[in-house]
Amino acid sequence: MRGFSAIAPLWLGVVPFGIVYAVIARDAGLSVVETQALSVFVFAGSAQFSAAGLFATGASGLGIVLTTFLLNVRHVLYGLSLGRRLTLDGWRRPTAAYFLTDEVFGVVAARPAPRFAFLLGAELSLFLVWNLATLGGAFLGAAIPDPEKLGLDLVFPLAFLALLVPLVRTRAELVVAVASGILAYVIAQATTSGGVPIVVTGITGSLLGAWLTRGRPVEEARLEDAIREVA
Amino acid sequence: MTFWLALAGMVVVTFGSRYAGLALRTELPAFWVRFLHFVPIAVFAALVTPSLEGDLGEGEIRLVGAVATALVAWRTKSLGLSIAAGMLAFWLLRIPF
Repeated sequence: MRGFSAIAPLWLGVVPFGIVYAVIARDAGLSVVETQALSVFVFAGSAQFSAAGLFATGASGLGIVLTTFLLNVRHVLYGLSLGRRLTLDGWRRPTAAYFLTDEVFGVVAARPAPRFAFLLGAELSLFLVWNLATLGGAFLGAAIPDPEKLGLDLVFPLAFLALLVPLVRTRAELVVAVASGILAYVIAQATTSGGVPIVVTGITGSLLGAWLTRGRPVEEARLEDAIREVA
Repeated sequence: MTFWLALAGMVVVTFGSRYAGLALRTELPAFWVRFLHFVPIAVFAALVTPSLEGDLGEGEIRLVGAVATALVAWRTKSLGLSIAAGMLAFWLLRIPF
């Protein structure tokens, strides 16, 4: 229960994010069941967001899965950090893994001696709120007539821009953001598939960032980072 | 069908990443830790630019909306407010004068 309520302040960010995701997913042509299934089975905000947009552009399943992988592989870092501080055996390890998100990692990493019950409470809290927000947004999305004419497809790039801006704090981060934006635009003009530009740009941009910051010390995956980088 | 196949793939790579970290007992090389830090930045930027123009020849006013969103996001860090500001700017400019 303490884990459940420890994450409550973060609901404030999760609820609008979940609603916007569901509206975009419905706009992209996904049914209510499909929109909700992504929240139940994948449970990863930014990956679900990008998948919704990619479904709308008719991207291949492979492109969507690769983009998801690229966005979610950072969880390896969280797991490595949590695994050193918490003993998880038997059913506890896959359970903890299934519901792991940036927010939960951030909150649990800030605890001096976290226990499994706290971790699971925080995880289930976020899972519940994310899915309720998805459900609400899915029905809200259905109530909007003719989204294309209203220009509602603009919500998609705007949402990612709003997620991107707070992440950019250093010069290297700014260079990567601008270079990636330009690269993706150029590739998108040359190809028709929505998934390819994202994956190619994601890898190229991240390599650029890692190279630009070479020689600098790496900190342990930080609380602040985890909270900034939304589910 | 494509949807459910894609969903299955998404579940595999997402759960796989989450599980691998908890199961492994190694250190990632520093280069790849830094690489992972930049992934959301590069991917989010790549998701903005290709769909910003739109198909209806409204590229310019959509760009103004994006500027409004970026400014509000920078000041408030609020997703909801940022999107609202961008859409409002876009809709206001759309009204034929």
